[in-house]
Amino acid sequence: MNRRSFIKASAIAGAGAVIGPSFIGEALALDGPLVSMAKGTPPARITGAAVEALGGMGAFVKKGDVVVVKPNIGWDRNPAQAADTNPDVVTEVIRMCLDAGARKVKVFDRTCNDARRCYENSGIGPAVENIKDPRVELSFVDERRYRMVDIPDGKLIRRWPVYEDVLNADKFINVPVAKHHSAALLTMGMKNVLGVIGSNRAVLHREINDALPDLNRVIKSHLTIIDATRILVANGPQGGRLQDVRQTKTVIASADIVAADTVAATLFGKTPKEVHYLQIAQDAGLGVADINKIRLKKISV
Amino acid sequence: MRVLRRISQIAVFLVFVFLFLNTEYKDNDILPYAVNVFLRMDPLVAGAATLAGRAIINLLWPALAVVGITLIFGRFFCGWVCPMGAILDFADATVFRKLKRRAKLPANLSRLKYFILFFLAVSSLFTLQMVFLFDPISILIRSLTLSVFPGMNMAINSLFDALYFTNIHAITRFSEPVFSFLKDHFLAFEQPQFRLAALVGSIFLLILSAEYFQKRFWCRNLCPLGALLGLLGRFGLTRRRVGDSCISCGKCERDCRMGAIGNDFKSTNRSECIECLDCRSICPENAVHFVGRDKPELLPMNMGRRGVITSLAVGAVAAPIFLSEGYRKVSDPSLIRPPGALSEDKFLDRCTRCGECMRVCTANGLQPALFEAGFTGLWSPILVPRMGYCEFNCTLCGQVCPTGAIKRLTPHEKRKTKLGLAEFDRSRCIPWKGESNCIVCEEHCPTPEKAIKLRDEQITTLSGEVIKIKRPYVDENLCVGCGICENKCPLTGYPGIKCTSRGESRAQGAELLTTDEG
Repeated sequence: MNRRSFIKASAIAGAGAVIGPSFIGEALALDGPLVSMAKGTPPARITGAAVEALGGMGAFVKKGDVVVVKPNIGWDRNPAQAADTNPDVVTEVIRMCLDAGARKVKVFDRTCNDARRCYENSGIGPAVENIKDPRVELSFVDERRYRMVDIPDGKLIRRWPVYEDVLNADKFINVPVAKHHSAALLTMGMKNVLGVIGSNRAVLHREINDALPDLNRVIKSHLTIIDATRILVANGPQGGRLQDVRQTKTVIASADIVAADTVAATLFGKTPKEVHYLQIAQDAGLGVADINKIRLKKISV
Repeated sequence: MRVLRRISQIAVFLVFVFLFLNTEYKDNDILPYAVNVFLRMDPLVAGAATLAGRAIINLLWPALAVVGITLIFGRFFCGWVCPMGAILDFADATVFRKLKRRAKLPANLSRLKYFILFFLAVSSLFTLQMVFLFDPISILIRSLTLSVFPGMNMAINSLFDALYFTNIHAITRFSEPVFSFLKDHFLAFEQPQFRLAALVGSIFLLILSAEYFQKRFWCRNLCPLGALLGLLGRFGLTRRRVGDSCISCGKCERDCRMGAIGNDFKSTNRSECIECLDCRSICPENAVHFVGRDKPELLPMNMGRRGVITSLAVGAVAAPIFLSEGYRKVSDPSLIRPPGALSEDKFLDRCTRCGECMRVCTANGLQPALFEAGFTGLWSPILVPRMGYCEFNCTLCGQVCPTGAIKRLTPHEKRKTKLGLAEFDRSRCIPWKGESNCIVCEEHCPTPEKAIKLRDEQITTLSGEVIKIKRPYVDENLCVGCGICENKCPLTGYPGIKCTSRGESRAQGAELLTTDEG
């Protein structure tokens, strides 16, 4: 099932059904979504450990898949400033996809600052280019490639242009960095999909708590890997002050984007109830925002 | 020998184009090439900026080198180096190749360029710098930056977009790789768009079209840089000399692109001759040489005393009139200068409107002024935040400014430099109107501690409902006036937050800034 038919199918089936990954986890007592939380250093290693705990990348990426890996490259900031995804996390995710047999791994983000500056200074551009594998494709977004997508059950938005490569990909791997955000409170996986949509996305901030679940209805993250190797706790999402950065040395992964975000929120000392869009997403059946219903697997490296 | 000259013209022009294409952010905070070198070696720009600015500008040392070489070798620059001259020669060799120019223009038209030079010299002496109107290098780079390159970019993009949207694989499989190659090497990263593109482009077109009347019409009659180099090179060592074997066929005189050869075919107007060596190459008797024993015959310089005095007087009179313009008393609040710009008077003394800063501006925010800075500030760079903002970590405009009108700043200095301040328009801003939250400006505010602060406030909406809303405020101590808030404001039409030059670092007394709103 490719993304396109998936979206079609879910549109026909109506809201609610979350197609889980083909992964069958360890037989734990609970039946809630599995979230792994790896702590330690270096970033690449805990990224690998977090995905391994979910059954490895092979559980998500099949041989021959076209995969989109979507980091946050939104800002002209350096890696230490924690505004963009850690380049080591991004490259490790790409490597795992390649090892799992991906035919193509596409990496891009629609940035807020000048895209060239963001790609370069975030460290993600040079790091990804350094992989030097013909299957890896790092690109700037191409304005011609947004396609209008219907959001039949959208509360706030009924249709919005989405980047074609995401719609056409077999797998969409969401690799956000966890940060403070004044409108959303926190920006993690669900907010990261704003980087694959077109049009005037700024207007969505007026009702961000409804906009995010709506967009995540049609932009499905097969796997969410949250970079919390260091997190920005104030002056987000752009930061710039090292005093606002906390070294949390954590990577969180899950097939359930809502559950992954819920666990990441705890790093900021927030209860999921405070992050409104997580509750709305849960009500919409997009995932689990109740920390007690999540199977949390902690790994220390 | 003529071949050598052509090779020189082509080689220099290629360097010129290379530097133009590299006047752009390319994953490097410091530009690796001296992209502004053509302007820095322009003695007209150097002279005017130094005179008007009353300062020795170290950046301009290459102009001294050109002066030195000109003193020895004459007005060779126009024939061998000048990219504008190369373009005009190219136009002659292509577009106007078959043209038979019938009407002979009066010979003393060529005096005009000296009058223009004298006007510019005197006005510069009185701190009115109007060189930007006539300097060929500034005109060329400005035209390419504001008009030609954006136009070309748009045309090529439209073509490949049209091919792309055919959705025919047989076409796109070829067109897209070509397009991405062009994008990587020649096209702009994002389509640049400039106000006044049509006006600036039209002037360039006029200069090209004037070739219809005469070869090198611009260089012969109008170019003050040519006039300056002609005067400087008048006594140089390389001169046109005609030997005894001359049969007075007149071929050289008819063919001279500068009209520098006298009616006797032997004498030369030294200030007009650009040493293109055409006369040497076409002489059937090989009688023409530029070095050698034959004695050069010089035509006397005849500018006409009246014209000289008039042009000097116009310069002297124009200066106080233009300098007393009202814009200089109360400046337009939208006059937001690039980071590192000198104080306004000093800035205008030096800025030659070459457009380098606009070309290099990452977010396409620097735009040519119309009358925001008065008539004497025409085409000078201003930040128009609705079109593009100033990237917080970018220092490129200060790196390309050839005259130091924009200082070169370190990234640290740049981040501390205030271009102005942002102010909310509370009758338009979404949360101020009480419609809903928004925070887009706050999210984009680049200062490490955000200059836009949100306060939770309880308000009563028009329908009587009491709601909690995040209202944005500007902390004027932190705001640097980069304009990204105004740029990203989701409102169409007038933005809900606007930047003005109030509080800019370069203003005198900026340190005494008082805030006049909450």
